[in-house]
Amino acid sequence: MAKMLMINPDKCTGCHNCELACSMSHEGIFRPDATRVHVFTWEVEGFSVPMMCQHCRDAPCITVCTPVALTRDPDTGWVNLDEEKCIGCKMCVQACPFGNAIWDEKLAKILKCDNCGGDPACAKFCPTHAIEWVDDLVATRTRKRGFAEKFKQAFSE
Amino acid sequence: MYFAILRDITGKKQEDWSKPEATVGDLIRDLVVRYGHAFERWVMKDGDLWALVIILVNGHDVRHLKRFATALAPTDTVVIFPPMGGG
Amino acid sequence: MHGWNGKILRVDLSTGKITTEALDPVMARDYIGARGLGTKFMIDEVDPTVDPLSPQNKLIFIPGPLTGTYAPSGGRYNVVTKGPLTGAIAAANSGGTWGAEFKFAGYDALIVEGASEKPVYLWIKDDAVELRDAQPIWGKNILETSDAIRAETDDDAKIASIGKAGENLVLFAAIMNDLHRAAGRSGVGAVMGSKKLKAVAVVGTNGVTTADNAAFEKIVLQARDKIQKHPVGGTGLRLYGTDVLTNILNQIGGYPVKNFQDGYFPTADKLGGETLAKTLLKRPKACFSCIISCGRVTKVTNKQFAGEGEGPEYETSWGFGGDCLIDNLDAVTKANYICNENGMDTITMAATIACAMELYEMGLITKEETGGIAVEWGNAEVMVELTRLTAMGEGFGKKLAVGSYRLAESYGHPELSMTVKKQEIPAYDARAVQGIGLNFATANCGAAHVRGYTIAPEVLGTPMKVDKDAVDGKPALVILFQNLTAALDSTGGCLFTTFGIGAPEYAGMLSALTGVEYTPEAFMNCGERIWNLERQFNLAAGLTAEDDVLPPRLIKEPLKTGASKGSVSRVPEMLPVYYDLRGWDANGVPTPAKLEALGLAR
Repeated sequence: MAKMLMINPDKCTGCHNCELACSMSHEGIFRPDATRVHVFTWEVEGFSVPMMCQHCRDAPCITVCTPVALTRDPDTGWVNLDEEKCIGCKMCVQACPFGNAIWDEKLAKILKCDNCGGDPACAKFCPTHAIEWVDDLVATRTRKRGFAEKFKQAFSE
Repeated sequence: MYFAILRDITGKKQEDWSKPEATVGDLIRDLVVRYGHAFERWVMKDGDLWALVIILVNGHDVRHLKRFATALAPTDTVVIFPPMGGG
Repeated sequence: MHGWNGKILRVDLSTGKITTEALDPVMARDYIGARGLGTKFMIDEVDPTVDPLSPQNKLIFIPGPLTGTYAPSGGRYNVVTKGPLTGAIAAANSGGTWGAEFKFAGYDALIVEGASEKPVYLWIKDDAVELRDAQPIWGKNILETSDAIRAETDDDAKIASIGKAGENLVLFAAIMNDLHRAAGRSGVGAVMGSKKLKAVAVVGTNGVTTADNAAFEKIVLQARDKIQKHPVGGTGLRLYGTDVLTNILNQIGGYPVKNFQDGYFPTADKLGGETLAKTLLKRPKACFSCIISCGRVTKVTNKQFAGEGEGPEYETSWGFGGDCLIDNLDAVTKANYICNENGMDTITMAATIACAMELYEMGLITKEETGGIAVEWGNAEVMVELTRLTAMGEGFGKKLAVGSYRLAESYGHPELSMTVKKQEIPAYDARAVQGIGLNFATANCGAAHVRGYTIAPEVLGTPMKVDKDAVDGKPALVILFQNLTAALDSTGGCLFTTFGIGAPEYAGMLSALTGVEYTPEAFMNCGERIWNLERQFNLAAGLTAEDDVLPPRLIKEPLKTGASKGSVSRVPEMLPVYYDLRGWDANGVPTPAKLEALGLAR
């Protein structure tokens, strides 16, 4: 089992604490434009979703990275960015189908979630468990169980 | 009568309590027996009235009466609110 | 500077000039930001006797130093101006995300002066600020305005705007942001409308810095923990919202019914937060950096009152509910949506309708004037329709647009308007709870519960329980809450954090954030300073001790039913004690010694 950032959008209240924690811990400033997690809110429906790098197994960003700044750690499964090797070509920005690699002009670098080395600030600051740092199997099983319970309620007398 | 989360814990909005209870404390202890720890944590702390629970007898807050020692008559209405707030 | 950006944006709508200037660090230290600093700008720059709807009034959009950081629930901003409803200083407080975005654009305050000849909106993207033609969107509601402006600026622009109500100078028009959040009271939206300013749209790509990242993080985590461990701040408000107050106020006999004719409503439970959670609630919602999530995302599917949005809050539920003798939550929620969609204060709208219902019952308002509408107690359809007419500026809605005081006065019965300083009293009966009545009488913006929320100790029992019916000690309690709130309102923080934290945590957060040392005493001192500054503005505007009174009904007519029956408000006996403790003379004027001590001597 490996750990992953699990998103539970049904619990997201649109507070942006994750963005603030991320930009503060990485860049030392509260600046939602310079974060690796972004929250999208649909104002009319009142629904919000946080989005960050999914650390894909077959990561398109790694495929297009010529200087091999992006690599995958076989032990953790994380896609890591070596800022020293990065030349800022922004090919990863083009390649990521989720839009989770971003280029920040002010800092002149690529911003991509790195799981904070194993203690993600976003999960720590999320007040509602909309983002959780959990064992990947546990995460999905919890969600499955939560939904299975609806059958229990429907079928019980 | 029960409000907010106590409605979920007891499964009721209100009930008629037929057992005679001399004091609020007696009533609460019997309610704890019926509804368990989930109920107890909202009303008691270290065996006494929790500072943040709002218990009214006929509309009067027991914290200004005799707290758990407040006497109860059979026709009294007891209302219990867990801590709540707003603006 | 840290926390503060150090920059003020000034826009003169008469000339079209847009300038920036530095924020004076001493002023920032002494008045903090938001409500306090906005009031300081007002008293320095505006003649308090100005007509609030004239170009000489100013309109200030102003967050606090905490806004834009992860201080828990610390993302608010204020709109400060002279209120058209009250003729007094007005500081309307709003949440959402607008305030934070404005901080990220690089400013601490937007001061709007003068008035435009034609409708305009302000578009701010960091340093690039311009006025744009708003004629095509003049008349549009809040959602339409937001969509239209985003289409020509930025999909993610945060927008503070008025609807038809502000354009038509409804005296209780609000400024809405994030669609559902309101800078609600005292008619700040009408000031915006009088300046022909439709909206302020902002995108900010910069950041807010701290003086000490590690110290700030540490104290923020401690503050968050305290709030999360508090049953109200941690779970109660997220589960049930503010509307959960309906039943407790009703059970203690302090839920005002029928324009304050009584204090107990037998079917109030149908309007309460528990019922809301089971029927209309979709999910909770939070403002920027908020950990409490009291916001209610709701939807009404009942065809007659269909709609979706956020709310109702307790005040709204009470106003359109019990105050009008209505127990239909769908209708109440629909009226709430109409107010949000068109930018109106729900408390004043609802209480004005309740007042109209009493005037109609007395035969003073007739069907001829209302276009055939029977303004009857308990009539949900009529209540919703009157709200809609007021928003649209049609029919009898045009008469309601002046608020209950001017309405009742026009029929020769101003005493039937449940107001202080012409602003409607919110959802707590001063006869059942003595301290809150004193707060209503003395709040500088007019009757307002949030200015000194002594309901917390008097009814809820947090942070400690005091006897709601006692008069001894209440003036001191009210003053303590008013001072703390004035300081807290000036930081950008949300009052609901006081379910968990107080002056020590705020002083700690400000110190770590700004690098300016605040002790808890200094923080409270700022609050007292800000309170007295507001008082100075009001006195110069012509208000006197005679305006620190409740309507006669609350002093003379005892409650008839409910747990507090037989009680009246004893504000008249508490007021002299209040003045004395505040260091004011018998006329409620701050003494020279008090002003000197606070650094306010002129």
